[in-house]
Amino acid sequence: MEQVEILVLVLSFLILLTLGVPVAFSLGLSGLFTLIIAMDTLTALTTLAQRIGTAVDSFTLLAIPFFILAGQLMNQGGIARRLIDFAKALVGSFPGGLAFVNILACMLFGAIAGSAVASASAIGGSMVERMENEGYPRPFSAAVNITASTTGLIIPPSNILIVYALASGGLSIGALFLAGYVPGIIMGASLMVVAGWLSKKYEIGHGEKFNFKTLWVTFWGAMPSLTLLIIVIGGIVIGFFTATEASAVAVFYTLVLILIYKEINFKRLVKAILETVNTTAIVLFLVGTSMALSWVMSYEYIPQNFTQFMLGISDHPIIILLLINAILLFIGIFMDMTPAVLIFTPIFLPVVVELGMDPVHFGIVMVTNLCIGLCTPPVGTVLFVGCGIAGIKIEQVLKPLLPFFIALLISLLAITFVPELSLWLPRLFGF
Amino acid sequence: MIDKAHRYLIRGLEVVLITLMVIIVIVVCWQVFSRFILEFPSSYTDELSRFLLIWITMLGASYASGRNSHLAIDILQGKLKGKSRGKLQILIQLFILIFSISVLVVGGSYLVWITFSLRQISAALGLPMGWVYISIPVSGILVSFFSLNSIRGLISKPSKPH
Repeated sequence: MEQVEILVLVLSFLILLTLGVPVAFSLGLSGLFTLIIAMDTLTALTTLAQRIGTAVDSFTLLAIPFFILAGQLMNQGGIARRLIDFAKALVGSFPGGLAFVNILACMLFGAIAGSAVASASAIGGSMVERMENEGYPRPFSAAVNITASTTGLIIPPSNILIVYALASGGLSIGALFLAGYVPGIIMGASLMVVAGWLSKKYEIGHGEKFNFKTLWVTFWGAMPSLTLLIIVIGGIVIGFFTATEASAVAVFYTLVLILIYKEINFKRLVKAILETVNTTAIVLFLVGTSMALSWVMSYEYIPQNFTQFMLGISDHPIIILLLINAILLFIGIFMDMTPAVLIFTPIFLPVVVELGMDPVHFGIVMVTNLCIGLCTPPVGTVLFVGCGIAGIKIEQVLKPLLPFFIALLISLLAITFVPELSLWLPRLFGF
Repeated sequence: MIDKAHRYLIRGLEVVLITLMVIIVIVVCWQVFSRFILEFPSSYTDELSRFLLIWITMLGASYASGRNSHLAIDILQGKLKGKSRGKLQILIQLFILIFSISVLVVGGSYLVWITFSLRQISAALGLPMGWVYISIPVSGILVSFFSLNSIRGLISKPSKPH
């Protein structure tokens, strides 16, 4: 009987997803079909409605719309441009200078805006042209931009880590944020190595001369945006305010910033709010139906059974971790990050905790995996946006993407098997 | 006529959602301000902002439905052309309709009825929780309307992409 219900759950979800039913509705419907078998219909319907409602009833989740709004406001103004100028002064002198600039600007902007899609469009939008003017082929620039955009999801503040904190049952957001720094920087650095090597090999983009004065000037230009990071992360880490309060401060700070830069008018402000509401509702409705399905799964004892199943295959941590990485990479290929984190955290976390892995470390591993999935077809939002911005077809970018993928996969292995990379910084701050 | 209603509903939702979003920003900023500057944390802002968030999510979900902006994997739709594409789109809308009527409208209404009849009241504001959960059936009705209207449009002009 139980097996039938699990089969219904998995099959109905896969079929609905393939047909093109919106992900949030596919999640809710597969939960519905399963629960109808298990209990009487009205109870099933009411339980699901209640799970959706209570899932969103969370002060922590409130940080998500605020960080989205702050990102939307940043997108309007010259903040991306100032960060690019600063990145150019800092790393523009390396071989393959502009590729380095692209990567660093994505890391900085992604950290502030908290969205890989936003950094792919904001940074990509102005970098692809500049890179083409200096002889970089468009597909190469797009590949750099697409892979670099995902690093901002691990470098804090990060909405997806807030979602993970929720799914894992209340891990410290401060600890997760701090844990993201080193892995995010490793990913960015590995991309730079590949970009530098390729630029040298094909002799493109000889960097400009390093100029300390330019660095100083652009640093002050980027300073106000970077200060936001210090206020938000510093405030959360010291325990001065919660992630939600920090996100509200971020909105307030950004509003003041764009008022000073005079780069927004009423109409664009309204548009930014509307886009925020739309994105927020899509993400939080996904949270609602994911949590409802997750409840159905625990009702069916799926996490417990999965833990037994996995530990039955092997009790060797390395093999289990490699297996989980492979499954997560596969999930990331066809599923969006938010539902993937909400649904698979309760399933995978007990397995790795059993093996002695730190939940904070696992969160970083999981998000890194899913980040890589964002730049793979068939479902790669960042891939689509990056190609759209560069004006090239997806088939054109696949070949130049490959070396960058390999770099990300090697970083992933390092992040998985060297826990200190994630845990060193949070421990330093006493988490 | 119905398309006009669709457009007015979208516009109306935009106005309501923007207003709610501005209020929620003010409420949380006020919470930070009252905690750090005035040094008396306000007790009701936490609850108020959570309830507003539920309303924003549920109304916003119907808004996203009306704009057709929910995340979906559209590979199959891209592969099909003409009539079969239209049929697939109708099927997708039917699934959305099943979920919104059964879970959101029926399940949500029953949930509201239970919380009202149990007189479940929120801790800080003393607000009957039914007023929070009623956002679920309201959203369900709106999603159902948008989805029925899409189906109607697809039947009359099957080849036109939505």
